Amino acid sequence: MSSPILSLAIRHEHDVVAARQRARQIAALLDFDAQDQTRIATAVSEIARNAFTYAGGGTVEFLVDGKTSPQIFVVRVSDRGPGIADLARVLDGQYQSATGMGLGIMGARRLMDHFSIDSSARGTVVSLKKICPRGASVVAGPRLARIADELGRRKPENPLEEIQQQNQELVRTLEELRARQDDLVRLNSELEDTNRGVVALYAELDEKADHLRRADELKSRFLSNMSHEFRTPLNAIRALTEVLLRRVDGGLTPEQEVEVGYIRKATDQLSELVEDLLDLAKVEAGKISIRPVEFDVTSLFSSLRGMLRPLLVNELVSLVFENPSGLPPLNTDEGKVSQILRNLLSNALKFTERGEVRVSATLASSGDAVVFSVADAGIGIAPDDQDRIFQEFGQLDNPIQRRVRGTGLGLPLSRKLATLLGGSLTVQSEPGVGSTFHATIPLVYTVPEPGVPAVEWEADPLRVPILVVEDSPEEMLVYEKFLKGSGFQVVRAMTTRQARHALVQARPAAVVLDILLRGEDTWTLLADIKSDPATRDIPVLIVSTVDDEAKGMTLGADAYAMKPLERRWLIERLRRLTGRQPVRRVLVIDDDEISRYLVRGYLDDLPCQITEACGGEEGLRRARSDTPDAIFLDLVMPDLSGFEVLERLRAEAATRSTPVVVVTSQPLADAERRRLEALGAAIVSKGADRDSALAHIRSALVGAGLVTPDA
Amino acid sequence: MDRIPILRMSEFLLVTIQVDMHDRLAMALQEDLTDQIVRHRSHGVLIDISTLEVVDSFIGRMIGNIAGMSRILDAETVVVGMRPAVAITLVELGLSLPGVRTALDVDKGMQLLRTSLHGTSNGAS
Repeated sequence: MSSPILSLAIRHEHDVVAARQRARQIAALLDFDAQDQTRIATAVSEIARNAFTYAGGGTVEFLVDGKTSPQIFVVRVSDRGPGIADLARVLDGQYQSATGMGLGIMGARRLMDHFSIDSSARGTVVSLKKICPRGASVVAGPRLARIADELGRRKPENPLEEIQQQNQELVRTLEELRARQDDLVRLNSELEDTNRGVVALYAELDEKADHLRRADELKSRFLSNMSHEFRTPLNAIRALTEVLLRRVDGGLTPEQEVEVGYIRKATDQLSELVEDLLDLAKVEAGKISIRPVEFDVTSLFSSLRGMLRPLLVNELVSLVFENPSGLPPLNTDEGKVSQILRNLLSNALKFTERGEVRVSATLASSGDAVVFSVADAGIGIAPDDQDRIFQEFGQLDNPIQRRVRGTGLGLPLSRKLATLLGGSLTVQSEPGVGSTFHATIPLVYTVPEPGVPAVEWEADPLRVPILVVEDSPEEMLVYEKFLKGSGFQVVRAMTTRQARHALVQARPAAVVLDILLRGEDTWTLLADIKSDPATRDIPVLIVSTVDDEAKGMTLGADAYAMKPLERRWLIERLRRLTGRQPVRRVLVIDDDEISRYLVRGYLDDLPCQITEACGGEEGLRRARSDTPDAIFLDLVMPDLSGFEVLERLRAEAATRSTPVVVVTSQPLADAERRRLEALGAAIVSKGADRDSALAHIRSALVGAGLVTPDA
Repeated sequence: MDRIPILRMSEFLLVTIQVDMHDRLAMALQEDLTDQIVRHRSHGVLIDISTLEVVDSFIGRMIGNIAGMSRILDAETVVVGMRPAVAITLVELGLSLPGVRTALDVDKGMQLLRTSLHGTSNGAS
C-alpha cells in the first residue's frame, strides 16, 4: 500500500528544476542523508528531463510504499510520449546518444535502489525506488500530513511558475472585470433610458405647471375685466334709482317706491359681489397697495360697531366687542384690517341665529402681532369643510346658507388680505357649537421686498403734491387733516434724506419745512433746494418753532410761520404760491346720455356753467368755440376715442392748457393711465356713488387748480 | 530570461552559480562565457558551484563543454567548491568531466590557474 506525498506536472523546462528540488526536499523530510538526497534528486532530474525532452512533458509522483520500517520512497515519472525505441540496448549500456539519454537512464538506475521502466507507443512510465534509511520513523498519518504541510510552505521556488500562476489569476480577474464592466455598461444604458424618461416627464410637468399658471392668470384677468364690465351698468342703475328715490324727477307712488327700493337693494348686492371679485383679482394680481397708518384697536372697534349696527336685525343675537386693553397701537393698513373684520363679523352675524358674536383682540405670544378673534354661536363648520370655506365661491350647503346669500368671496378675500399684511387667518370650529376665526396681524407692517422708495407716497393725479418735512408724526397728521379736501396731497418726509429723495420722486409743487428735525436741522436742505436749478422754483414755506425769519428768508424761503400753524394761513399761502385759478365754464363730452346727466348732477353744486357735447368731434368744436375752463371727457365714444380727443385738444393753442378731467368706467391699464397723465388729464372713475364721485370731481377740479378748496 | 553573472577578476573570469540552473540557463551561460573570454582575452575561468546541490548529467556535460571550448579559446577552466555528495553522484552517474580541472575553493582555484599560466603561484611575472 502506498501513500502519495506529492505530484507535479512537467510542462516547461523549469519544471525539471522544480522536480529535482522537490525530490531533494522530500528525501530530506524522509530522513535520507545528504548524499542520498543528491542521488535521488539527480536521478529524478535525469528522468524528468527525458520526459520533457522526448515526450514534451509528463507527471512526477512522489509516494511512500509500505507500512512498516523500512519503507520505500517511490518516484514515478510518466509521460504520454512515443516510447523509447531501443530500450533493451539502452539498458544494456550499449546505446550512447548525442544528447546523453543513455547515460541518464543508466545513471539513474545506478543511483537508485530499484529501477523499472515500462515503455510503449502510448507512453513511458519510469519507477525509481529507494529504501528509506533504517531507524527512520514510519511515514503515515500525522507525519505524512506534516510532510505535505512542510512542502506546501516551501512551495514555489520557481519564480516563473509563480508568475504564470499570477498571470492566470490576472487573466481570470480581467475576465471577471470585463464581465462586470459589460454589466455596468448595460446598467448605464438602462439608467440613461430611465433618465431620458424622467427628463421628458419633467418637461411635461413644467408644461402643465405653465398651463396652470397661465390659466390662473387668465382667471384673474377675466375677473378683473368682468368686474369692471359689470360695474358700469350697475353704477348707472344705482345712480338712476337714487335719482328716482330722491324724487328729482317727480314723486313716486308708495308701490313704486317699494319696487325701486328692491331694485336698489338688488343692485347693491350685485355691486358688493362685483367689488369683492375685483378686490380678489387685485390681490391676486398684486395690485393692492398697502397704506400703513398708526391706529389703535379701540377706535377701530368703535368704528366697526357703528358700521355693523345695520346688520344687527335679529334681536336674539348680540354683538359684543371686548375692551382691548393694554394693546400697543398698530402701524398697518387700517382699511384692510377693518375689511377683514367686517367680513368675519358679517359672516358671524349671518350664521348665528341666537346667542352672541364676540370680538376680541389680544397680543400674540410673540409680542409683535395682534390676534383678532371673532367667535360666533353659529352652526359651525365640519373639519372637512374648514379648508373649503377659504376657497373662492366655496360656500357650504346648509339651511341657513340657503337663506342668507353671500358672495362666497368674503373669507378667501379676508385670508388674502391678512396674508398681504404679513399675517394669517385661521378657523377653529365645532359643528353645532360655533366657530372662532383668528386673524393675526403684525403690529407693524413691513414692506416685503427690500429696495422700495424711502418715502411712502403714491401719486394722486387729482391732487397737488406738497412735500412736508416734519419729524413728528402728530404734526404730520395735523398737516394731513389741514390739507384734506384742499386738493393738496401731503408727501411725508421725516428726515432730510427722505426729503431729498421725495423732491426727485414726487416733484412737489411746494415744500413745507420744519427746521428742527430729530438730530438734524434743515437749513442746508433749504439752501440746497434754492441753489439747485431743478428745484429753485419750488416755493418753500418754513413752519417752525425756531424764530429766525431773517435767516430763512435770506436762504430763499418764500414764507415763514411760527408754530402752532393756522389752516387758513397754510392753504392761502400754498394756493398763492402754487398759483391756481377758479373755474367758470365746464364742457362735458360724453356720448352716453345717462353719464352726461350724472356728471351734470355731480356738478350741480359747483359754481360753474356747463355745456355738453355728445361726441368727440362736437366736443372738439365746442372746446374751440367756448374756450371752457375745464373739460370732462369720456374715453369711449363712437366717433373719436377720449385719447384722440385729448391729443387733439393738446395740439391746438387755444385748448393746450385747458384742464381735462377724464371720467371713465373702464379699468385703465397702467400704460393708458400714464398716457393720460402725460397729456395732463386728471382721472375720475364713474364707479363711485354720488358723494364720493363728487368728492373726486371736486378734488380733481381743485387739483387742476379750477376751484378753491373752500368753494 | 535571467543570466548567470560573469565577473572579471584581474586576468580571470569568475562565474558563481547560485541558482539551480535549468537547461537553457546552462546553455546561455556557455555562450556568455565564451563571449566574455574573447572580449577580455582571459586565460582563466573559475566556475564556483559551491551552492549547487544537484549536478545531473546535462549540467555536468555543460561544464565539460565549457571547459573544452575555453581551452580552444586559450583559457583554462577550474571548477571550484564542488560538494562531496555532488562529486560522488557524478562518479556514480558515470560522468568523469574530462579536461575539467577542479579545486576546493576559489583561492585554490586561482592559485592553480596562476601556476599553470605563469609557473608561479603569486601571479607576479
